[in-house]
Amino acid sequence: MPVRKFRSVEEMKTLAWRRPGDPELARALASVWSFGRRLRPSPLQPGVRKFKSIAEMKSR
Amino acid sequence: MDFDAVKRLLAALERERVQYAIFGAVAMGVQGLARFTEDLDLFIAPSAVNVDRLKTALRSVVDDPEIDNITAADLLGDYPAVQYVPPDGSFQIDILTRLGEAFAFADLETERLPFDGLTVSVVTPRGLYAMKRNTVRLKDRADAQALKERFGIKDEGDR
Repeated sequence: MPVRKFRSVEEMKTLAWRRPGDPELARALASVWSFGRRLRPSPLQPGVRKFKSIAEMKSR
Repeated sequence: MDFDAVKRLLAALERERVQYAIFGAVAMGVQGLARFTEDLDLFIAPSAVNVDRLKTALRSVVDDPEIDNITAADLLGDYPAVQYVPPDGSFQIDILTRLGEAFAFADLETERLPFDGLTVSVVTPRGLYAMKRNTVRLKDRADAQALKERFGIKDEGDR
């Protein structure tokens, strides 16, 4: 990825967004998700789990 | 989360005509902001037929008998939130049929957007903002702020 220069932090924030359907967006998503997966300390536990609410699900 | 696995799953949802809407961080991604997430959040229409379609879609991308344990009885009954991870751990989907008293599938504001060669159903920026703005989790509040700034969303009381 090339070096990019900004005149302010606000300018950087606006460039973080891309247009839906932009091929660069798909590449960025694949890269960020893959990086996150590599950083995960333990693998996701396979299977089905059931919860009474989204709050209960997201707290685990 | 494995991008290609998620894409295969979304293609299967489309093929099987599942009534769904992506929300959460993947929805933020489809809307244009790439940020880390471990799960694909899917709001699905609460009907037995739709749950069957979802299971058919899942089985077409993952060979896993555990999928049988995703049931309409649970999702339409006492367990409106079900989490599934396939044997290879390549993704996690959080399936939802109700979100408290505030959001029902029929009330969701959704749109169809391009996603790397597919067209998928996703909650609109305004809908995502409404879902995230009053939640407890810090990252949801950060998402809400990012949506507000990007899409010029106004709260009641904003000038």
